[in-house]
Amino acid sequence: MSLRGGANSILPREKGAAPLDVVIAVMAFLAALALGASLIAERTAVGWRAGLSDRLTVQIVPPAQSAGLDRETEAALVVLRATPGIAHAAALSQDQTLSLVQPWIGSDALVAELPLPRLIDATITPGAQIDLLALTHELKRVAPDSLLDDHARWISRLKGLAEAITWSAYGILLLIAIATASAVAFATRAGLEAHHEMVELLHQMGAQSNFIARAFERHYFASTLGAAFVGAALAALFFLGAGGLEFAGIEAVPFLPPLGLKLAEIPWLLAVPAVSGIIALATARLSVMAALRQIY
Amino acid sequence: MVRFENVGMRYGAGPEVLRDVTFVLEAGSFTFLTGHSGAGKTTLLKLIDMMEPPSRGLVTLFGRDLSVTKRAEFPALRRRIGVVFQDFRLLDHLSAFDNVALPLRLAGRRENEYVQDVEELLSWVGLGDRMRAKPATLSGGEQQRIAIARAVVARPDLLIADEPTGNVDAEIGQRLIRLFAELNRLGTTVLIATHDRALIEGMRAREMRLVDGRLVELRTQRP
Repeated sequence: MSLRGGANSILPREKGAAPLDVVIAVMAFLAALALGASLIAERTAVGWRAGLSDRLTVQIVPPAQSAGLDRETEAALVVLRATPGIAHAAALSQDQTLSLVQPWIGSDALVAELPLPRLIDATITPGAQIDLLALTHELKRVAPDSLLDDHARWISRLKGLAEAITWSAYGILLLIAIATASAVAFATRAGLEAHHEMVELLHQMGAQSNFIARAFERHYFASTLGAAFVGAALAALFFLGAGGLEFAGIEAVPFLPPLGLKLAEIPWLLAVPAVSGIIALATARLSVMAALRQIY
Repeated sequence: MVRFENVGMRYGAGPEVLRDVTFVLEAGSFTFLTGHSGAGKTTLLKLIDMMEPPSRGLVTLFGRDLSVTKRAEFPALRRRIGVVFQDFRLLDHLSAFDNVALPLRLAGRRENEYVQDVEELLSWVGLGDRMRAKPATLSGGEQQRIAIARAVVARPDLLIADEPTGNVDAEIGQRLIRLFAELNRLGTTVLIATHDRALIEGMRAREMRLVDGRLVELRTQRP
């Protein structure tokens, strides 16, 4: 019969609240996408770095005489296998090399006739320190057309890319937080205006501004939490769907890592409704207290 | 309890609706405030309830000079006043029970402490079977009784009522006045603005009349 649930039940459910709920849900969806993208970027960068940090690649650019390619490859392999700290070194076969370039230039007969470089993949013993400058000189001495790549530049660029994606996601999250706060502030002001007579009555009956502010903040906290949860849930479905495509062997976006989140990462998306609710709570409180200071 | 000294009140640049109003409401008194429509009765009640500051003069409430009282202290003072508004001002989305319980909640009372009080009071004003009803489903007279129950439920030190029996029949009107009298007997100071002469004649109460914004003492409280 009576009011259960504290000051928030003083405030009626606004008939025109649906647009705010939709706006909050959409922003939460975008925020969850940004958060998910940052998680994927971070996980992918870690994977790439782990895959490349203990590897060396030697590239033998095809010399003018094709016989020189095999000779230089053999010589480079001898040097690599004799270098302390290199656990394993092997040349990639022609088929393996072609499969590497296949996504970019295809696999028709003309490609097979292209003068592709010979690649040697070397694995470094974990923890071993290799003098790359000396190794480069030694390789150049026995195989003048060789190029040593320790992937440092590539790893550095991957790190930069991952950081750029992560910081961009944080920037998007910040913008969405500001937009959420603005929307809630606007709705709170409109709510105060709509319930002006009720607020005046409560004041007249001796309600503290805190009591009225609490009614508004709980009201907007609850509605924002619900709407943001819907948005985050939709984003979770999106990521799970993308994960399903990956599982089915379908590449959603060529050359990019799969857009799916792992199940263990999905709970991170709950941070979106939680933070949205806190933003709504704080914004509603500040807006109401500021408005009440002006009115009463 | 309430003291007005040479109080004047005007809204904006308009004419004075109250002029040199001076009176004292002693604690425990029962007073009728009469006057034609537009004489300034509602404005005077608003000054007592601190919803408007006077344009001039001194208003003292519960021994506090309101001109030097901090705004932060107003809510606590207002909670000592029960107000029956002419237009009821019920919250449409709340039930009759919740409307009546509102002052108790504002005073920080727990629900289990006031359920019985509220139910008894609603029964007393003849709405025991309409506790769950929303105001929109009630008649004007029923809404008025809820407004009165809300004003008295917290046993205020001062009760001010603006035409409290305007929408009820004579029998209910007399019953409500008996409720006010009972509260007054228990120590509540009562000020009722009305133009219902029948109501006033039946009571041994003091009468103050507003004429063109000036206060005329017609009758002191009879023993």
